[in-house]
Amino acid sequence: MKLIYEKSVEGRKGYFLREDPYKEISLKDCIPEYALSRTKKELPEVSEVDVVRHFTVLSKLNYGFDDGFYPLGSCTMKYNPKLNEHLALLDNFIYAHPCVDEDFVQGSLQIIYELNQYLSEITGMDQFTLSPAAGAHGELTGVLIMRKYFMDRGELRHKMLIPDSAHGTNPASAAMADFNVVEVKSNKRGGIDLVELHKLMDEDTVGLMLTNPNTVGLFDENIEEIAKVVHSKGGLLYYDGANLNALLGIARPGDAGFDIAHLNLHKTFSTPHGGGGPGAGPVGVKKHLVRYLPTPIVSYNGEKYFFEEVGEKSIGRLSAFFGNFSVLLKAYVWILSMGDEGLKETAKTSIINANYVMSKLKKFYKPVYDRFCMHECVLTGREYKKYGVKTLDIAKRLMDYGFHPPTIYFPHFEPYAEETIMIEPTESESKENIDLFIDTMIKIAEEIKAHPEIVKQAPHITPISRPDEVRAARNPTLIFKEINENR
Amino acid sequence: MKYIPNTDNEKKGMLKEIGVSSFNELIKDIPENIRLKRALSIPGPFDEEEIKERVYLIAGKNVNFFSFKPLIGAGAYRHYIPEVIKAIVSREEFYTSYTPYQPEISQGNLQSMFELQTHLAKLTGMDVVVPSLYDGASAVAEAVLMAVRITHKNRIIVSSLVHPHYREVITTYTEPHDIEIIELPFDKGCTDFSDLKNQLNANTAAVVVQSPNFFGGIENIAAIASEIHDTGALLIHSIAESISLGLLTAPADMGVDIVAGESQSFGMDLNFGGPYNGYLATKTRFLRQLPGRIAGETVDKNGKRAFVMTMRAREQDIRREKATSNICSNHALNIVAANVYLSLLGKNGLYQVALLNTKAAHYLKRKFAETNNFEVFEYPFFNEFVVKSKIDISEVKNRLSRKSFIPPLRVDRFYKKCENYLLFTVTEIFKREELDKIIEILGVSR
Repeated sequence: MKLIYEKSVEGRKGYFLREDPYKEISLKDCIPEYALSRTKKELPEVSEVDVVRHFTVLSKLNYGFDDGFYPLGSCTMKYNPKLNEHLALLDNFIYAHPCVDEDFVQGSLQIIYELNQYLSEITGMDQFTLSPAAGAHGELTGVLIMRKYFMDRGELRHKMLIPDSAHGTNPASAAMADFNVVEVKSNKRGGIDLVELHKLMDEDTVGLMLTNPNTVGLFDENIEEIAKVVHSKGGLLYYDGANLNALLGIARPGDAGFDIAHLNLHKTFSTPHGGGGPGAGPVGVKKHLVRYLPTPIVSYNGEKYFFEEVGEKSIGRLSAFFGNFSVLLKAYVWILSMGDEGLKETAKTSIINANYVMSKLKKFYKPVYDRFCMHECVLTGREYKKYGVKTLDIAKRLMDYGFHPPTIYFPHFEPYAEETIMIEPTESESKENIDLFIDTMIKIAEEIKAHPEIVKQAPHITPISRPDEVRAARNPTLIFKEINENR
Repeated sequence: MKYIPNTDNEKKGMLKEIGVSSFNELIKDIPENIRLKRALSIPGPFDEEEIKERVYLIAGKNVNFFSFKPLIGAGAYRHYIPEVIKAIVSREEFYTSYTPYQPEISQGNLQSMFELQTHLAKLTGMDVVVPSLYDGASAVAEAVLMAVRITHKNRIIVSSLVHPHYREVITTYTEPHDIEIIELPFDKGCTDFSDLKNQLNANTAAVVVQSPNFFGGIENIAAIASEIHDTGALLIHSIAESISLGLLTAPADMGVDIVAGESQSFGMDLNFGGPYNGYLATKTRFLRQLPGRIAGETVDKNGKRAFVMTMRAREQDIRREKATSNICSNHALNIVAANVYLSLLGKNGLYQVALLNTKAAHYLKRKFAETNNFEVFEYPFFNEFVVKSKIDISEVKNRLSRKSFIPPLRVDRFYKKCENYLLFTVTEIFKREELDKIIEILGVSR
């Protein structure tokens, strides 16, 4: 499709602003010559209608949750309630400036304070910071807290244990706190290999970052033992909350021995993914770590909500202001909509839906671990390799049938998880949609045997066919340049 | 249950097909010991109307911000946001979609990334752009880490007029990495660069300057560029108020190496501090050290133009601990907002908005100079300026809030010695008559 620049017509305007009411003031008297751009910046010149049409057409090239089934494992693509969107757009919230005195923003502060309490109750942690802007930002917060904790005790620890099944953000976050990443292998049941953990966990180790349920969709049944091993060497246990959806109201990381937990409000708590963000990644800690939280936090004295600095042990500030307020508000509204009963039902339904998918598909796509799963199941496309069909092809073919593909090639660790297909239906999907997805996956399995080319060339009816990603990386075109500029 | 389609009966049927008699059989892996055996102590479930009432009530505890125009900016600016932007970003295809890992059904997001990259390249004069990081603070912190990786040096010189919160975030991000941070003092409204030469040494990775700076001051960046480059250090330009780019010289033309910006002013609500949207812009030779997602143009199998996320070998899901950053989710929806804003305003609109900001702010400052209640300072500024108040600061606050204005920032909140100094911000949302009214309110002695 044409770029907005290719629709530009000299002199066309999309925005009308009142005439300059300060004619007596000359720009030259305001801004020194060295700082004043000699020409106007070459943005496009288009009308309001041009803009609306352009972006409406662009939007239609996207696939959103509201368009259909979105079984992206580990991403928890659940429904984003319209009520939440409405309430996040109230004037008193959206026009609230972050630097005003507390008496102007008692309402916004109340939301932050109460959400902190709800998240603490749901996870069994003692205190949250709501300022991290995303899951990885929460991880950075968490690993910095771990670092500060040991510095405060006068201990220098260098290693961070991370399972081979972990999200890439875990090792990347640990590296940002200058820790050496040590990989822990998964065992043949899909959990942490305890023998190896015993071996690796020592007094030079900060702790373990663990996703539980993990990325193969299994709850690590040895969690109590894992916590014991980590704590016995003075380490800290970090909870990656990517998969908290399965545990809501059933079990709490805080009761399972975790010292720090980050959540992804854009996964578990229904806030939209927005094409890749903004989300929010609050971090909760147990009492012994509260003093290291980023500053500031919101407190309440029975009459008034107010900001409180965390103190000199704080890891400092993580964001320009207090995090993604409108995202926090949407999560707050979702919790009120669900209550205890609804949260439990969320976890339960998500687990039933995932097991249902696995039980119906396991004959066609072998599960990485043939056990009951939690909120997502991880299957493989390995046996179709002999037809020359890769998991990628299966994913692409799903688009022709109107589905967003599941997560593929993640997790990846040998020898168990290869050519993976990670399916997370969430609680939002109805049985008939899930059945339709299952039937389609089976149909694709048949297609592979009969007409593998159809699958290998898929998708066929999407706005574009497979793009040449190698060309994009080898010969990067990262901004639009008019032809004459290229010369 | 709200938002859960399947009925109890359907769930029962599904359990049967799975081959279990009860849900509990599915969760046997969760040890009994750690199960929660009570109800969570949280309110709800409430019906939709109950929730609305509750939340409206809470919203009512804020002041009526819509009619309270802010004379405060300090990194968060209230500009007029055309309705087109909300109409577009509230399309479900944009706000309910996932990260565009499947380009065949994500061209809307990918093309929008590419377009914003182009807009920001035009505004900054740079070659490559990361269109989204969390905010201007994390952008400048990432820029600092990037400079350290590029130069293999670890001394950073930062102007004390970089937003105080941005400087705190730089400290948080760099603390684990043995990076030394030196601050340059300020003089009136601009950075005092007289000591820069002495501070620069062979171990300096970067100099960080914000312009317009925290006091609204326009720094003479071009004047310091060559001495910085002579030592092999990079020049990082932090921008909190990106509307200024509509009027001011492109950073690339002043010798800047990395622009670390905040694009909140491009169509994003104040929202009590977030979500906003950071960005980085730099030269092609630093491309491989950039953090975060970048869109690139290519063709599909049939030769049709297509956009994909590219240069992915920098990212955490591929490189794990060797990635340039841990960033995964960014503020993608705000890419769309900024893209729509800049497309709509275009070449002339952005210039006009920037012009009106400058003139309105200078108009108010000149009027202050005519009163006896404020001392003004001579330094070049964009849409924010510092004055010293001769009337009590709390009196200023009371007078302004009584007439529905959000008072300016007390500078001593961040710069302890600047007692009685106020940072006024004036954007295009103020009409000339309103500025006259402010003078009327504050100009009188009682």
